Amino acid sequence: MSQAELAAFVQSHLRARGITAILSGGACVSVHSEGRYTSADIDLVNAYSVNRGAIRSAMQEIGFTEQARHFVHPDTPYVIEFPPGPLSVGTEPVRQIQELDFSTGTLELLSPTDCVKDRLAAYYHWDDKQCLAQAVLVARAKDADIKEIARWSRAEGMMDKFRLIRAQLSRPGG
Amino acid sequence: MLEPLLGSVSSERVLMFLFARKEGYAREIARFFATDLDPIQKQLDKLELGGVLVSRTAGRTRLYTFSPRYPFLRELQSLLERGLSFYPPELRESLVMVRRRPRRRGKPL
Repeated sequence: MSQAELAAFVQSHLRARGITAILSGGACVSVHSEGRYTSADIDLVNAYSVNRGAIRSAMQEIGFTEQARHFVHPDTPYVIEFPPGPLSVGTEPVRQIQELDFSTGTLELLSPTDCVKDRLAAYYHWDDKQCLAQAVLVARAKDADIKEIARWSRAEGMMDKFRLIRAQLSRPGG
Repeated sequence: MLEPLLGSVSSERVLMFLFARKEGYAREIARFFATDLDPIQKQLDKLELGGVLVSRTAGRTRLYTFSPRYPFLRELQSLLERGLSFYPPELRESLVMVRRRPRRRGKPL
């Protein structure tokens, strides 16, 4: 089972129990960059702050066990985490969730544009160059909405930093 | 002061300390408020797990700060600022008036 298939499987199981958990972080980059970036963990944002005990029970039903703050399963190398909600990019709520269908279920994840914002937030606030590289990968692979990213960067008070990296977000010659 | 809203005295102490000082570690916060380490550490863990704080290690110390990615950060800090203005002047001053500029090693006081 691929990372995306596993995430879709887990999400579908949680969804059936009323738990909304949206794929974000590095695994989201991996999906949108079509594997040009790989991540060992799967971040499913606990969008509506469901009680941890409810998540633990649901994960145990499909064979996962909790270790510290993440969940592991003997049949997969991927580690699943549930970062706290609300689902946001920087200080703004995420308005639109993308859906992708897999044989294991429907995967709900950040759109390419929100995925780029999510990675840029880490670059803006912590100067994390790895996250900038991931933002560039997704922006180029999926033609992210640069105008919208510019608007969001301004709202985050990061327009100066955005100007420095704007050219990198577009495909060369694109 | 903000305990009814923030849930506990320890939560208020942690948040107010980090608001005033920008960063801090569990023992430092407990020492400042002359309280036990355990409830302070528990609040730091809880707030980090909730995405309000982030931490990093410096040597053997785990330093906590507000997460710049916490979506309600601005509103939370406004509340803390307002709360701090109601603190007794001595407490407010000892929270805020701390030397933050560097001190060269070996420099006489």
